[in-house]
Amino acid sequence: MASFDVMPDMQLYQPVELDDALNLADRYAADGWILGGGQDTYGWLKDRAKHPQAMIDLNGIEALRGIRDSADGIEIGAATTLREIIRDKRINRDYRLLSDAAATVASPQIRNVGTLGGNLVQDARCWYYRRGLSCYRAGGNTCYADTPDGINREHCIFGASRCVAVTPSDTATAMVALEATMVVQSVAGERTVSAEDFFVGPDTHITQMTSLEPGEILTAVRIPAKWAGKKFYFEKIADRNVWDFALVSIAVAMSMDGDTIGDSRFVCGGVACTPHRLRHVENAARGKSLSDESADAVASIAADGARPLNANQYKLPMMENLVRRAMRA
Amino acid sequence: MEIATYKNDVWGREVLLGVSWDLLWLVCVVALVIIAGHAVYMATQQRAERPSQEGKHVQRHEPIDRIMHWVMAISILALLFTGVLPIIGIEFAWLTLHWIAGLVLTAAVLFHIIRSVLQKDLMSVWISPSDLKEALDDSHKPGKYSVAQKGMHAAVTVVTLLVIVSGLFMFAMIDTPWWDRTNSLSESTLGWMFLIHGLTTLALIALIAFHLYFTLRPEKLFYLRSMIKGWISEDELSANHDPERWAPDDSA
Repeated sequence: MASFDVMPDMQLYQPVELDDALNLADRYAADGWILGGGQDTYGWLKDRAKHPQAMIDLNGIEALRGIRDSADGIEIGAATTLREIIRDKRINRDYRLLSDAAATVASPQIRNVGTLGGNLVQDARCWYYRRGLSCYRAGGNTCYADTPDGINREHCIFGASRCVAVTPSDTATAMVALEATMVVQSVAGERTVSAEDFFVGPDTHITQMTSLEPGEILTAVRIPAKWAGKKFYFEKIADRNVWDFALVSIAVAMSMDGDTIGDSRFVCGGVACTPHRLRHVENAARGKSLSDESADAVASIAADGARPLNANQYKLPMMENLVRRAMRA
Repeated sequence: MEIATYKNDVWGREVLLGVSWDLLWLVCVVALVIIAGHAVYMATQQRAERPSQEGKHVQRHEPIDRIMHWVMAISILALLFTGVLPIIGIEFAWLTLHWIAGLVLTAAVLFHIIRSVLQKDLMSVWISPSDLKEALDDSHKPGKYSVAQKGMHAAVTVVTLLVIVSGLFMFAMIDTPWWDRTNSLSESTLGWMFLIHGLTTLALIALIAFHLYFTLRPEKLFYLRSMIKGWISEDELSANHDPERWAPDDSA
């Protein structure tokens, strides 16, 4: 497949007002490309695997940047860079889970320009899909990864429905664990959707990773105070410590009553097309203390229900060990 | 407007993907125009006196046939809703519901075929040359089924069998409780299956629209009642059917 060093021919818009961006998104709809930090964008365009007519650059819109108080917690503009999140004192104090997750994204250079919104809505990293094959996710009728010879070491062990790609976003797992709410705007107005519902699997929409429709822009993320200052654990396992996507990751938020776990949210990345919540683990962890004994007991059920592909059975013990480590922390 | 959609793959080859769903709106509009045209035409015609439903009842459909009809009807509607709603933007986890409804329809159709061949008068519902007289001569009454009903049945039979066969090929490509997905068909074969499945789906939408319309027309409502309760009156029988060509059991 040819790859090109120059940008394809398209209109570039750099609005400074959100309303202008929303009007452009509405006008171009599926033919428009919403640009954040560009880290998921330029590969697609370089390979000519996507052919938008217009690029709508959000980086000049001040209203989409920054971390501010909300009625119940904080609101983070979608164009806020990952670096700004990692360095924000309030996030580090109250929502450490998010800054820990953001700190594992790719490399320092990418975190300097990559935005929270871009990280959350980035597309699947299945190489068959990214190389422009006409697979299910690309609107075709087959999956190249899930074949006897398919290279599916990085693919899903939960939630496969024809497509077996996984969510590549490190911050998405933290957002689901923190019960964040996504703020989505279009010319029709604003709607909010929980992080858990924002990410969609192939059973619901096989060509999309999120519930964003053409013409809509993710403008902010609201994190409620419910989990502020609670006990958090984030760990990402990848082939390399930088520049790589999670083979398996875990984001955990636990409400502690002394040494005892109350409510908790255990969310795994890299194992399904969406951040995969481990409800049975959460139920099993309730009332237990952080100890080796309870960690072993809870970890043993972490991967229940998994359906590994030919080359990714290793993800099952990896999930169990991540739960074990979270319960020991 | 194109009939099929294609995509150029990474090697520059043109891959057939399936039907162009823009046709969905065309089919809906054409079906509605035809229905509206017929309704207007019928409104301009002199209304014949409707036969009474009172009096002695004769059996038109046995209970098992009525049950199978409604099983097929519900499964086809479930298939259309689960298959088409996501295409028009109503998103939900549709696939499992879709193949379950497809299996129900397949089983019902198989049962219907076996019963029709072994236990019923198969030819009573198939069009024969003598039926053509009905279209030319109003005084020529049909047997159990009118030529229009036979035509609808033939069309639905062909379309349903095609949608089932193409659906079964696609069914083999996904996970089920009985097997793991096989990915055994080539892209081009799958493209043809998706095209046939899509085209027959569009045809089914039109046929079902016509079927519902004619079912709900006032002068045809007694057929709907017969598909629910099983009987028509002797008055309805003599007004709409030729007793020489259909002598129903009067045990209803």
